[in-house]
Amino acid sequence: MFSIATSKNKWIFMGISIVLMIVSVLSLALRGFNLDTDFAGGMAVTYEIAAEFETADVQQIVDNALGSTQSPSSVQKSGNEVIVKFGFDNSLETDEARSDFSLTKIEAITTALEEKYGTPVTAEAPAEEAVAEETAEEATEDPVTEEAATEETATEAVVEETVIEGVVLKSQDIVSPSTGADLARSAVWMSILACLAILLYVTFRFEFVSGVVAVLALVHDVLLLLGLYSLLQWSVDTNFIAAVLTVLGYSINNTIVIMDRIRENTRHARKESYAQIAESSIWQTFNRSVNTTITTLLTIGMVYILGVPSIQAFSLPIIIGIVIGFYSSVFVSGSLWSTWRDSAVKAKRQ
Amino acid sequence: MSRSIVKFTAIILVIAALLYVGIYGLDFSDSVSIPGVADEGGITQGLDLKGGTVIVYKAQTDNPTEEEMETVVNIIRRRLDLQNYTEATITRQGTDKIRVELPDVQDAQKAVETLGSTAQLVFAESILPDPNDPMKVIVEKEVMQGTEVKNAFAEYGQTDDSMSKMAYHIALELTDEGKDKFSEATGRLVGSPIYIVMDNTILSAPTVNQKIESNTCVITGDFEAEEAKSLAANIKSGSLPFSLEQVEVRTVSATLGDEALSNALFAGIIGLILVMLFMIIIYRLMGFLSSIALMSYLAIVLIILANCHVNLTLPGIAGIILSIGMAVDANVVIFERIKEELKLGKTVRSAVDAGFNRALTAVIDSNITTIISAVILWWLGTGTIKGFGITLFIGIVVSMLSAIFVTKFLLKQMIGMNVKNLWLYGIKTKKDTVEMKGGKA
Repeated sequence: MFSIATSKNKWIFMGISIVLMIVSVLSLALRGFNLDTDFAGGMAVTYEIAAEFETADVQQIVDNALGSTQSPSSVQKSGNEVIVKFGFDNSLETDEARSDFSLTKIEAITTALEEKYGTPVTAEAPAEEAVAEETAEEATEDPVTEEAATEETATEAVVEETVIEGVVLKSQDIVSPSTGADLARSAVWMSILACLAILLYVTFRFEFVSGVVAVLALVHDVLLLLGLYSLLQWSVDTNFIAAVLTVLGYSINNTIVIMDRIRENTRHARKESYAQIAESSIWQTFNRSVNTTITTLLTIGMVYILGVPSIQAFSLPIIIGIVIGFYSSVFVSGSLWSTWRDSAVKAKRQ
Repeated sequence: MSRSIVKFTAIILVIAALLYVGIYGLDFSDSVSIPGVADEGGITQGLDLKGGTVIVYKAQTDNPTEEEMETVVNIIRRRLDLQNYTEATITRQGTDKIRVELPDVQDAQKAVETLGSTAQLVFAESILPDPNDPMKVIVEKEVMQGTEVKNAFAEYGQTDDSMSKMAYHIALELTDEGKDKFSEATGRLVGSPIYIVMDNTILSAPTVNQKIESNTCVITGDFEAEEAKSLAANIKSGSLPFSLEQVEVRTVSATLGDEALSNALFAGIIGLILVMLFMIIIYRLMGFLSSIALMSYLAIVLIILANCHVNLTLPGIAGIILSIGMAVDANVVIFERIKEELKLGKTVRSAVDAGFNRALTAVIDSNITTIISAVILWWLGTGTIKGFGITLFIGIVVSMLSAIFVTKFLLKQMIGMNVKNLWLYGIKTKKDTVEMKGGKA
């Protein structure tokens, strides 16, 4: 049978992990991240434009509105929405100046877009009128229901409110450059804290070697995830941090279940080497590792497929992290543990 | 056997009832009522779902003290109350930041302006026009800083015995130091104005009627009620120990939030159905039982969400949906173990017992590591990350309990009902088992 921890295969799997980790570190060091507004600071404004529009036209309008001294802006189209991103003017020194700057510029862009694509007109008015007439009829019959009916129409009108033309500002983010540094700092602290707490817990429940292996597997998973985002230059925002920290907590699940089986098998073991114990433990828990990974991917995968862009940006790293976590748990952690324990035994004998 | 059927039916009914309560709430009478998630106000929606504006302020000073920050939070809260932003929430973020969330407020510009004029307040006896900005002035000689004002509020009534007219005025309460400065200045300045200057703009310039020697004094004028309130609020917030600048301003429209919410709910339902199907296909009867347990998990989570005022954000919903996938993890671990025990030739009853007992440590240890991360996100995270941490925590804890206790209870009843066909427990055929048994022997 195909073996993971007992044959030369283990060196292949560990080798793949090491190579990928080196690639990740290199990419992080050389390419860095494509930092989104949350980190880099700047403005991100989402507009919904009812009319057909071209990205190039919007880009033109935005550039004109911002003026020539402005750092470059980016315009992304997704469906009938457009996300406009631009940075602060470098000459601005205080947060106050930046805040004034951002509000003025956003106002300018909104106005310019409205000039081109029209001010928002919603379907609200006709809907309200129609129902209001009905209400009037009812009112003549029964004056008591009038109030209740009017309330109902109000909610109905809101539900039916849809943009039929014009430009609507759907969301705007203004983030000062100092925020990104704070965010990054708190993310690093949270990760370190999580790793230490997990190391402590695993050492307490298992033994130190298992704790170190579990945390190494974690570092591996997170590093590869970060490396992939750096390599592909996918944008990194606040939600990415939450996703990474989720991966930090969840990808270890598989490792722990394998460690648990190793712990149990070690108790009953007589002559088997640690590698053999690890091998049988991995295979005994293999179905479970696969099935759990599938159920988790089914739910988070649905969130990714059906969600809005911001939630997609959050669920994608979790999906990737879960897959990487499966690999490191099943193919690397057991081998790493047994190699360490077996070499310790050998060292003792010599 | 009949007792097992009764118990099994009973727990199904209990779960169905819990699910109903979780969704629609419970109203026995006015005194006993539990909101459900479908009720108005049943779920506290985060701003990314509800729509609104978030403003994060940063103290423009190095190392503000805990006490100073608390003062600032209180001042902002008062300011928001006065401006009728009653639904606003204010939280500390890190050591030097304050996060203000304004639900339903779409006009960021206006919100920033109303809240953002938190500059230092000065009472001045003479001012000069600002050469660069005709709207602004430069303080030439100050009487006292705004920090000397302990309190300021709008009042309605007679301010003076000689005045027969009832009018709005602003009452000021000064610190002892402020009182000394103020009495000295008002003694000299009877008949001339004292300028109340905020952010280099004159808020008001009342004329001194007499020397003021007490800790309290009033500013009279032809104030409208709103005007007086807003001036009092401005004077009060002038006593901020340092100025604040907004470092983050985020606005989400209500329509975007609605869309996000309905998409996420749809994704959740589809995900739930897929997980149940998967479990039933792989683990058959046990999978069906775990799907029932999943329902109880869902019911409990909904009840918690509706009653504990958890601030539900978009990542928070993702956390709950993710935990549905994780929820069955404990069951997968246990069921795989039961299958192993069955293959060893054990009876269903002892295989189920052994499966649960042996898998318990794996279930607990693997969940606790995830709980550790969730708690850290909840504790140290801000904004949407915090919301995610909370729901992930709730999801994991509840799922672990439902997977262990509810599933075990259901399985016991199945055994009580003499359901012992091994195929139903995920073993391929009886022949396999015998072969396995033979192989082992």
